[in-house]
Amino acid sequence: MGASAEPPTSPLRRSPLHDRHVAAGAKFAAFGGWEMPLEYAGGGVLREHAAVREDCGVFDVSHLGKARVTGPGAAEFVNACLSNDLGRIAPGQAQYTLCCDDATGGVVDDLIAYLVSPDEVFLVPNAANTGEVVRRLAAAAPAGVTVTDEHADHAVLAVQGPRSAEVVAALKLPVAHDYMSFDTAVLDGVELIVCRTGYTGERGFELVVPAAGALAVWDAIVAAGVRPCGLGARDTLRTEMGYPLHGQELSLDITPVQARAGWAVGWSKPAFWGRDALLAEKAAGPRRTLRGLVLTGRGVPRGHMTVYAGGTAVGETTSGTFSPTRKEGIALALLDTAARLADGAEVELDVRGRRLPAVVVKPPFVQPSVR
Amino acid sequence: MIPEDLRYTAEHEWVSGDGSGPVRVGITHFAQEALGDIVFVQLPEEGTAVQAGESLGEVESTKSVSEIYAPLAGTVVARNATLTDEPELINAEPYAAGWLVEIVPDDAGAVSALLDAAAYRELTEQS
Repeated sequence: MGASAEPPTSPLRRSPLHDRHVAAGAKFAAFGGWEMPLEYAGGGVLREHAAVREDCGVFDVSHLGKARVTGPGAAEFVNACLSNDLGRIAPGQAQYTLCCDDATGGVVDDLIAYLVSPDEVFLVPNAANTGEVVRRLAAAAPAGVTVTDEHADHAVLAVQGPRSAEVVAALKLPVAHDYMSFDTAVLDGVELIVCRTGYTGERGFELVVPAAGALAVWDAIVAAGVRPCGLGARDTLRTEMGYPLHGQELSLDITPVQARAGWAVGWSKPAFWGRDALLAEKAAGPRRTLRGLVLTGRGVPRGHMTVYAGGTAVGETTSGTFSPTRKEGIALALLDTAARLADGAEVELDVRGRRLPAVVVKPPFVQPSVR
Repeated sequence: MIPEDLRYTAEHEWVSGDGSGPVRVGITHFAQEALGDIVFVQLPEEGTAVQAGESLGEVESTKSVSEIYAPLAGTVVARNATLTDEPELINAEPYAAGWLVEIVPDDAGAVSALLDAAAYRELTEQS
């Protein structure tokens, strides 16, 4: 028994806030090569999940990658590589985007791009993929454009929930900017970026803080009565939103067309990695697409469970959990388009040998309130 | 958190009673803490005959699923129906309201062959 953890291959990296988590009685799990809090003593996934939906919670997500692309035409260069269209946003705004493999259109990583200026883009990839994203960008960068891996230089604290603006404002940090935009501020002499972003479906802020200043910011947030939340709750929260997690809903074997992430692709751009492959797949129609499933009876779906329609295997779950908000089993699944399953279609899920009935739905499973 | 008057298994389950009648079975405090918030329990029907070590059902938390094993051979005579709607009782009261099933042992002596509190404590300290 116990949580699934990655086998320790090399020493795990730790957040600058690690000692705070130990003191708070956190249980840890390996995540993308980092040892991060899964849940806290006195909390647990359900309480931490509820705190974010109903009040406010703070996550240490310092394992997230950070990379900076600078130099004349940096934004133009990034725009010719990553999928989404940076032309849709202005400096001071952020965008969800994908780094696709140029040959296959498979997803190397999904990331947030912060457009600082035409000559500077700050990227937040996933922990495990940061090295590969940086490698691909650096290899393609024209003379004068530099790609720097700043993974350990910054901590990232996500303050999420309906009370998040009140908490962040009490620290005298800016809160008035729009969803998916960012502002800079100084707190106790520490310069930080305040982004209106998150991965929970709630209104929230992600604070990018220099590693040396992370403790003071964390302590101030916790002192405001905000519950520390671990990656366990972060996963149930994002699954309720139908947000993809790289390695599950997105991977080198899963394209954005299949994952229904085409909204994060600038289709009219003349160039981006994977453009030819993705345009061809879009035109032909993907062989499978990402759908939502809700169990109609009791049970908890997990990833990699086979989905059946009329006795025929039609696909596999990519993520599944008990939804703390809906109090029922939910899953994301890649289902064959040839099966022609409409939303509302009845299917069955193979849960360790038992066939449990489920209904195909369009995510999100819980309505987001990010704005 | 390891009551002295219970017997235990290496699978982190407890057994109460001396075996002359039905014994009650649950998971230990150590087990519920390792699992985290429990959200679903699958238990056997009353009347099911089980062998020692055979699967009795499953306990699922938000993050993982754990099998429950029969601590001894016998017949299931009761299951805790309250857990269907309140699986969190296993977290809150693993030795009381969070019990799982009652089994009439085939062999009353099987209970005394299980770990006592001291032996189980030693086992949890090693893991």
